[in-house]
Amino acid sequence: MQSIGFDVGGTFTDIVAVGNNGRLTVRKILSTPVDYSDAICSGLAEMIKNGQVSTQDARHLVHAATVATNTVITRTGAKVGLITTDGFRDVLEIGRLRYPRLYNMAFEKPLPLVPRYLRMGVTERVDYRGNVVTELDWTNVKTAVNHLLEHNVESIAICLLNSYANPIHEQLIADYLSTFAPQITLSVSYQVLPEIKEYERTSTTVINAYIKPVVARYISNLEKQLHEMGLDAPITVMQSSGGTVRTAFVKERPVYAIESGPAAGAVGAAAVGRHLGIDNIIAFDMGGTTAKTCLIENGIPRLASEYEVGGELNIGHRLLRGGGYVLRVPAIDLAEIGAGGGSIAWIDRGGVLRVGPQSAGADPGPACYQRGGTAATVTDANVVLGYLNPKYLVGGALKIDRNLALRAVSDTIGEPLGLSAEDAALGIHTIVNSTMVRAVRAVSSEIGRDPGDFVLFAFGGSGPVHAATLAREASMANIIVPPSPGVFSAIGLLLSTVEHQYVQTFWRDLTKVDTEQLENTFGGMEEEATETLLGEGFDKHQIQLDRFVDMRYPGQTSEILVAMPGVQRDDSLLITLENAFHLEHENSYGYRSLEGESVEIVNVRLRARGLSDEAFSPDDLFQAEQQHVKPVETIHTSRNAYFGNDHGWLDTPVYPRTELESSPITGPLIIEEYDATIVVPPEATAHVDAANNVRITFETT
Amino acid sequence: MPNANRDPIKIELLKNALTAIADEMAVTMVRTARSLPIKEALDFSTGLLNADGALIAQGLCLPLHMGSFPPTMKCILADYKDDILPGDVFATNDPYLGGGTHLPDIYIFVPIFMSDTLIGFAATIGHHTDIGGRVAGGNACDNTEIYQEGVRIPPLKIAKEGQLDEMFLKLMRANVRVPQKVLGDIMASIAACRRGESGLQALADRYGVAALRASTLDLIDYAEELTRAELLELPDGQWEFEDFLDDDGFQENPIRISATLMKTNDELTVDFRGTDPQVKGSINMPFSFTVSCVYACIRSVMDPSIPNNEGFFRPITVIAEPGSFVHCTHPAPVAARGLGASRVTDCVWGALAQMLPDKVFACCVQGDYGVTIAGYTDDGAPFVSLEFLFSGWGGRPDKDGIDGLSSLAVNYSNTPVEILEVEQPLRIERYQFRADTGGAGKFRGAVGLEREYRLVEANEAVLQVRGDRHKFGPFGLNGGKAGANASHLLNPDSDSPSVPPGKFMMTLKKGESFRAQLAGGGGWGHPFERDPASVLDDVLNEKVSLECALEEYGVAIDSVRMAVNEEETMRLRKAACA
Repeated sequence: MQSIGFDVGGTFTDIVAVGNNGRLTVRKILSTPVDYSDAICSGLAEMIKNGQVSTQDARHLVHAATVATNTVITRTGAKVGLITTDGFRDVLEIGRLRYPRLYNMAFEKPLPLVPRYLRMGVTERVDYRGNVVTELDWTNVKTAVNHLLEHNVESIAICLLNSYANPIHEQLIADYLSTFAPQITLSVSYQVLPEIKEYERTSTTVINAYIKPVVARYISNLEKQLHEMGLDAPITVMQSSGGTVRTAFVKERPVYAIESGPAAGAVGAAAVGRHLGIDNIIAFDMGGTTAKTCLIENGIPRLASEYEVGGELNIGHRLLRGGGYVLRVPAIDLAEIGAGGGSIAWIDRGGVLRVGPQSAGADPGPACYQRGGTAATVTDANVVLGYLNPKYLVGGALKIDRNLALRAVSDTIGEPLGLSAEDAALGIHTIVNSTMVRAVRAVSSEIGRDPGDFVLFAFGGSGPVHAATLAREASMANIIVPPSPGVFSAIGLLLSTVEHQYVQTFWRDLTKVDTEQLENTFGGMEEEATETLLGEGFDKHQIQLDRFVDMRYPGQTSEILVAMPGVQRDDSLLITLENAFHLEHENSYGYRSLEGESVEIVNVRLRARGLSDEAFSPDDLFQAEQQHVKPVETIHTSRNAYFGNDHGWLDTPVYPRTELESSPITGPLIIEEYDATIVVPPEATAHVDAANNVRITFETT
Repeated sequence: MPNANRDPIKIELLKNALTAIADEMAVTMVRTARSLPIKEALDFSTGLLNADGALIAQGLCLPLHMGSFPPTMKCILADYKDDILPGDVFATNDPYLGGGTHLPDIYIFVPIFMSDTLIGFAATIGHHTDIGGRVAGGNACDNTEIYQEGVRIPPLKIAKEGQLDEMFLKLMRANVRVPQKVLGDIMASIAACRRGESGLQALADRYGVAALRASTLDLIDYAEELTRAELLELPDGQWEFEDFLDDDGFQENPIRISATLMKTNDELTVDFRGTDPQVKGSINMPFSFTVSCVYACIRSVMDPSIPNNEGFFRPITVIAEPGSFVHCTHPAPVAARGLGASRVTDCVWGALAQMLPDKVFACCVQGDYGVTIAGYTDDGAPFVSLEFLFSGWGGRPDKDGIDGLSSLAVNYSNTPVEILEVEQPLRIERYQFRADTGGAGKFRGAVGLEREYRLVEANEAVLQVRGDRHKFGPFGLNGGKAGANASHLLNPDSDSPSVPPGKFMMTLKKGESFRAQLAGGGGWGHPFERDPASVLDDVLNEKVSLECALEEYGVAIDSVRMAVNEEETMRLRKAACA
């Protein structure tokens, strides 16, 4: 049996394959934006030719796609029409009125995905209780549909006011359309997201409609090509929530599969952590242009219920939105900032050193890449400090010139500030860490979690270089760097499970909850979930259902997710929920309400998993020999590295990863592997654990 | 000149750390607050001050709060100088006794200690849903003295040794209409300040108290230097601008705001002398709020990465006559001073537009609209629905004004219709753009919005509206036309709709409806210079009518083919030039 994961990113497509024989093979190729499946297919074809992939043995194909996100960002989706309640055709364009950065006169609001002339209001009204106040006007509906058809829309979104409470009018319009215009792709809000808040529901439904034809074509084409290659195993696709689904589902609800690559890394970190018995982790993924963090608590990545596609990157934007397209679907809660190896250092008018947000990108890239870049980047600083190999990276595939890095750092930063090159470089390294600490805090201390109680799990091309110094800055004592950190997101794909998320608004004061009605609501969702999973080929015993409720104090706008106790079904259930909520509110925000105040339920949620009996487990990965790794030629067995005033330049041993042992070695130490470099400062120790992870530990004082 | 002794790395690390703390405070506030103005509109701010009360960081959610902490902090320090202890919490909301700007904005200060040494304060401002007084919501424009406007909280110690004062809570519970929301928001504010407290303590622990103090003072100097460097690059000179509020709701006559901008080297002054005297109705501006308005406008033409601290204020001077509309004196009413602020900011931007014609926009729609509907539901529960409405931006020197966006002065959000319908006994009947309201121009101003409320689950309610721009539309620039005026309609679907004035209060009966029709943004550049293709696009999208295209823009559109009649358009535009 063989499992294959392919993670398509904006720049690279990573393919990993693991078989029962414990062989992990990796291919990293340039992505092909015109048709992203080209890179996957050519990569796989070559791996089949080399014997790295066997068409007979391949049972699981797991895909993280970028096509959905890219379709929104490049605005290359379908021509969509929107049918909505009369008087509310502009809900989509008005949005929430907000801009993400104060005092910014240069702000541009993203154009609505459906222009106003394709947004049609129809007379009808349902109230918040679900009662029909005004009957649906069929003349309006027909006029609207004809107008949209005349304008050759390919896809129609339907989102009526209060349909979360009663979808009857949406259903009627959808039924009419499927008979009258069966060629049109439909996205109906009560199916996509039966949740309160008209703008968020409309936006989500419209994005679904916008990408649906494109994603469906892409997936069908990919399936066809893989089939022609002899790969007949079913494909599953990573969703933003971190669970995978079958392609049939993605073709219907592609909106759940936006941002699937970043989710895969967090899922992988959680799976590796669970395997090691480490349940509390902060995943840290740093690449060339951005760094991302995610909180994993009790072995599960934390979810957010809403995010934006195409917004600017900034921690503050978790509060101030408006720069992108809003999606209200469960997504792994990532804090993302524009800090990476390519971030450029500069001096402002107050004589202060700043890093980013400008990036040298891939072209010209850091000065040391010898492509004409002259600005000092974070990567240049790491070369000057001796952290990165002075001659080459990526196992020799990328030649670098330390002198160019030195010149860039000296000329643009060191000399103007009167600092030595190494102190300037250390300044750059430290400042970029301080911005990444904000991403760490955004997922932890913002909700009352002490980062010190979590282990930093570092991956991505630049993550392992910064992991230890970042951890120290954030008062975290333990760090894990998994094998193949540069393609870890693709490995995360292999560690994921099939999962569907369901949500239904169920808004009432806790004292007014009829537990039988609550049970029935969950029961209905479970029925749907079970049917879906059985349809996907899972057996009853493989289905795992978990119930949650969103709770809050009356009037609050953000909810706390509370797990439903397993067995309680009577009124004591409500007391258990209330206590659990008070406790979590206090943990997160430092207080509970004044005496005598009520608590309410807003939504009920169901997570439905299909557990495969022959799923790939971390064990397979950890036993895997790293076949793909060319032994790194250690031209130097040591080099000078700079660790600040306290230590100065130290002669630092450089180990290939394969030679690191299970007994701890005290830093300073540099560990090099094919796609990453790990820096261990003098105060820390490093060893390899039984599962082939590098573990770095600071002595706690 | 940069300070030669400055540590170029440490200052950046400190700035990042302080910003992170102020942001965390803001997150705590928004995630746990109860009332719409704070949780949805983000009408609040968080800040950190040093032991002397100098602002060292501000987590901004509302642009107009720039500069709001120092005046209130000064009042707290004056009253409690020798009585500030660990576990204390201070509060005030009063414009005359506490340095506040209107009563619904409650300020909370938590002193921060390292053992026994006071090292600073964590602070929040939050706009509360109700503050008692004669009109629910605290934003009436027809109060005539501060005493009608709600509970005045002079600088008060509301907690000792970490325990909230029961007397304060009792007094507030008895005086506000929705105590669970108001007290819930105060709890959220204190929780946010506690985050600020532990954050600053952690920094003091790391840097040492004295070193932290020295570094934060340098951070203030650094912000001042960046501000001065920016100012130096702006042209020197003097520019005047005036704009008008329709009236104060009592007298018919308009209220003139006059701003003179003077810039020399690295200093800038805004002089409001020439502005009309304070008025009877409650739209007057306390001077501290006028100053905040100026800071917000100036910041919008500068590098956004200048740290938000005291240093930014230093090169900027604001002058106003006491007793004038922009510097009202006790006991002038100020509840709806947000309306005054919208015109003051319009006016300062109008002056800035002359200094920087390639950068500053025509007039935005600044939140001239406050709609409060309050009373008791059919179930007997009290309710207060409070909303401020916005349309969008004025035409820009190179692009249209953005439709459907908060103003640059106030980054408000709107309330989801579906949430409002669950929480209030109201139904929203429409929320959409108004065609032909965007100021015509080479770059069109934003179209206005309309929102209609119907009372459905209460027998009657007080409807109080604070409206403006019914007589003076948002100005255009460089030949662009003003945006369409705002207007109201009562019972628009009945046989006898009526048109109330801009500012009014009345009883709304079950089944009745009120429609607010907002102004459009001002246009930029002459409308006849507008690309006919853009006019066609607006017509296709029903933001501009065929008639308006013809009359305002001189663009003839064939309504059957939906295409521009090039020849006729050329002829029309030529004729207009001649």
